Formats: sequence, C-alpha cells, structure tokens
Amino acid sequence: MRIDPNYSKEFEYIARAYEQAGGKVDSLLTKDMVSIIISGDKVLGRNSIEGVTIDYKTEGTSLKLWMRIADNVKILKPVHMCVGFLEKYGEQNLEYFFDIGCNSEVSFLSHCSFPNAQKIKHSMVSHILARSGSKVGYEDIHFHNEEGWVDLNTDYLADVGTGSSYSTRFRLTKTRVGSMKVLMNVDLAQDAKAFLETKVWAKKDDKVDINEIVNLNGKGSSGIAKTYVIAQDESQAKVVNEAYGNAPYSKGHIECTEIVKGNGVEVSTIPILKVKNELAELTHEASVGRINALQLETLMAKGLTEEEATELIIRGFLT
Amino acid sequence: MLEIKDISYCAGNRKILNNVSFTFEKDKTYAILGNNGVGKSTLARIIMGTEGYRNIHTGKIFFEGKDISELKVDQRARSGITMIWQEPARFEGISVRDYLTLGGKENLSDESILKTLSSVGLNHFYLFRKVDKTLSGGERKRIELASVMIIKPKVVILDEPDSGIDMMSNSMILNVIDFLRSNGSTVISITHREEIAMLSDEALLLCAGEIYAYGSPQSVSKSYKDMCDSCSHINIPLSQ
Repeated sequence: MRIDPNYSKEFEYIARAYEQAGGKVDSLLTKDMVSIIISGDKVLGRNSIEGVTIDYKTEGTSLKLWMRIADNVKILKPVHMCVGFLEKYGEQNLEYFFDIGCNSEVSFLSHCSFPNAQKIKHSMVSHILARSGSKVGYEDIHFHNEEGWVDLNTDYLADVGTGSSYSTRFRLTKTRVGSMKVLMNVDLAQDAKAFLETKVWAKKDDKVDINEIVNLNGKGSSGIAKTYVIAQDESQAKVVNEAYGNAPYSKGHIECTEIVKGNGVEVSTIPILKVKNELAELTHEASVGRINALQLETLMAKGLTEEEATELIIRGFLT
Repeated sequence: MLEIKDISYCAGNRKILNNVSFTFEKDKTYAILGNNGVGKSTLARIIMGTEGYRNIHTGKIFFEGKDISELKVDQRARSGITMIWQEPARFEGISVRDYLTLGGKENLSDESILKTLSSVGLNHFYLFRKVDKTLSGGERKRIELASVMIIKPKVVILDEPDSGIDMMSNSMILNVIDFLRSNGSTVISITHREEIAMLSDEALLLCAGEIYAYGSPQSVSKSYKDMCDSCSHINIPLSQ
C-alpha cells in the first residue's frame, strides 16, 4: 500500500491508534490484502486485489466509500479497515456501500479508534449487499477514550440474497463507551442466514442503545441476533431485539444478556417477535441481572475469590 | 475430618433438614441416598457454603477441627472442599483448557490435561472448546469430573455425578470416584444409582431431612429399596 506523502504523519498517529485498538499495522500494508485507512474524512491509503474495486468521495465532513467485489471472488484474508479520528472535538461521518458479488466470499475486520476524543461525534452507515450464494462477515471493533466523550451512531444495513450467509459483530469492550446507538438490520432472502452480535461494556455514565432486527423474508431463511452488555456504575443500556417471521419455514432467534454491576445502573431489554406466516418459528431468550450465582460459586468452589470469578466471567462473556 | 453438627434448614415454613449430625472420615467414600426432596442437595450446599444456605442454617460445620460455618465458598474451597453441582454452570468464552487449570493449575501441561480428559471419555478436540451452551449436559458433567480429578481436593461432593451421562458410561464415573479415593479424597456422592452407592465405603439414607439409615451401602441400599420404593409417607418422618 502506498500512503499519500501528505498524510504520512497522520498515518503514524492512526497506525498507533489502530494498534491500540487491537489491529496489526503490518496487515494494512501487505500487498496481497485489501485494506483501507481512513482518518477523519480522508482516505490515507488503500490497497486492493483483483476482483475488488474501491472508490470514495468526500462531501463536506462526510466520506462515502464504495467497494465492489466481483462475482465468484473468494478473498481469503480479511479486508482490513483502519478507521480513526484524531481530533479532540469534531465530527466524523462515514457511509459505506459494500456490494458483494454472487458466490463471493469476504470478511471485513474494522478497527475504529478515537484516541484523543474530548467530545466527538462519529456516524457510520454501512450498506451491505450480499448477492446470492455469497458469504460475508463483518467485525467492527471500537476503541474509544477513557476520559473524553464519543457520541457514536452506527448502522449496519444488510440485504442478504438467496442462499447467502452474513454475520456482523460489534465490540466495544476495552474502553468506556460514551453514548452509542447501534442499529443492525438485516433482510434475508430465501435460504439466507444471518448472525448479528453486539458486545459492550458500559461504565460510568455511558449510554447504550442497541437495536438488532432480523427480517426473515425468504422461505427457509434463518437468523440469530444476540446482545451482551455489562453495565456498571451509573450507565444506562437499552436493548431492543426484533425478529420478523415473514416467510414459511423461516427461523429466528433473539437473545439478550445484560449483567448489572452496581446499584446506579439502568438497563432494559425488549424482545419483539412478530410472525406473519404460520410456518415461521421465532424464539427469544433474555436475562438481566447480576452475575449468575451458580456461575460464581462454581468458580469459587475451585478456589477463585468472588472478585477473580467475576472478572473471569465478564472477560469470557465479552470475548 | 468433616463434621456436620445439628444442621437444620428451613425453606419458608418447610423444614428441609432437621438436626442432622454426621462425621465424614478421611479417605472414605460415602453415598447419600434418598428420594427427591429429602434434603440431599441442600445438605451438599450447606457443606459447600453456597449463597442462600450459608448462615441460614442452624448448627455447625467443622473441617479438620476448625469451625468453617462462617466461611464463604472460596474459603472452603481453598481449605480443600469442592463440589460438582447436579447441573453445572456454563461459561461464555472460557475454553475447556482454561477452565481445567483454574485455581492454581495454570502450569499443567496439555498432555496431562488430555490424559485427564481421556479418562472421562473426552478426546483432544475438547481442549479448546468452550465451556458454554454448545456442550451437552453429559459433556459438561464430564468436564466437571475432569476438573475435580485435577484439583484433587480433600473432600469432594458429587451431586448426582451420573445425571446427564449415559448408562453406558457408568464405569467411567466409578473410575473417577476410584481415582479420587486413591488420591486421598473423601468422596461424598449424592446418587440414585445403586452401582455408585455400592462403590462407597458407607452410605446414608436421608428421609424427611433426617438420617434414616446409615451403614454399609448394601444394607442402606436395601433399606432404600424396601422403604422408599413404595413410600407412603414421602418426606414425613415415620415417627410422626
């Protein structure tokens, strides 16, 4: 990958933040990999391989990016996306359009970091079109700032074609959140499959709002939406997971687990299941409360203190 | 070694255990028999000191001469007592390997862990599986049995060690109990299965929260069959 010489210093900072968020800079620079480096509203560098085209355009404070993967292309290594905003104050608006060709396979690994944030707003909308027979994975790992405040608004909107499979995972577990709104919405065609998952650790006065929606529109489609939240201190978390059984033999499952630590937290979960076809099958599972006593005592019966057991359970839960 | 003295426990208005006293001796294996609801698992939890049971019962528990009645689960575990629950907990994101090396066994080699897994009928594929909902009840129970084999506790309470495990694997459970005994553990098995009771040195029959019979597993098992199979006084002591 060639970094624009005008942005070499900025790249250094972004690379540092990327590593802090868990990414590997070497992966970004490898020639045989697809990778994109975004800082604020600028693309500092990008790398592509045969069968993949990347275009972008900046409009005011917004960056729009298009990635098209041709039919029958199997990208063996994950597409690395290094996204950051180095300012203390300001706004970052991103909109992605991913078009995955028929029978193609790709997985995205995105690290998003805001190391200097005092008060920033980050908006991202990702439109994913997974054409028939494709396999698409999208993992988005966020790394915010312990001291500052990030106002995060991120949408993953996926249209999954016949016989395709799609998964998206969002993680914000290493730093405090600030305020976040995550929307995952997936439309599934015949025999398509989806897996949505969000894992968040909310601390202090963080505010978390998660909405995962599975629309089972095609016959035989199936989808799972899971949310895991640890809420401590005075944090607030609201989770709404929805599944709509609109087609015969479609199957959906939604699940929410929220672990509460402390008396000042406020958490809720609302499952919505709606069936429009008598042959659709939807289920849900939810638990909100402190760490399960049986889990704690099972570990304590092996000699771990309550604190050690709690830490292990939380660490495993957020892995 | 482990003495329970005048243990009584009520759940609401219902008396679950009524002045139970007994001494479990070192290097011996015990079976606790009894119908559902007679207080077997309650007694196990009181010995382990779990929440909702510790400090709520009356009576005392002594271990190696020390009163442990006020100690929490982890403190009792560190003094050498552990337990396998009838339905063990599941854990997200924790591998079988990490789970089996908890409590100071971090340096255990993979080879040693695999050997233990093999003795509970699990192969090397399980080493990096997660101790979560993807395991069946029987697989989870086997991992718990492997865990106590690694811990080698002074006292282990097995609450229905065979539940969730297929009948064909009876010999595996018996081998685990035998391993624990030969490594110096006092094993207390709560069971409905005669083969497990028969392997024990001594057996107790609980009825309505009291020790109704005590002695050789053969005699207690016979009492259990004779008295409890056709019980007409479920959980009401004969004396009443």
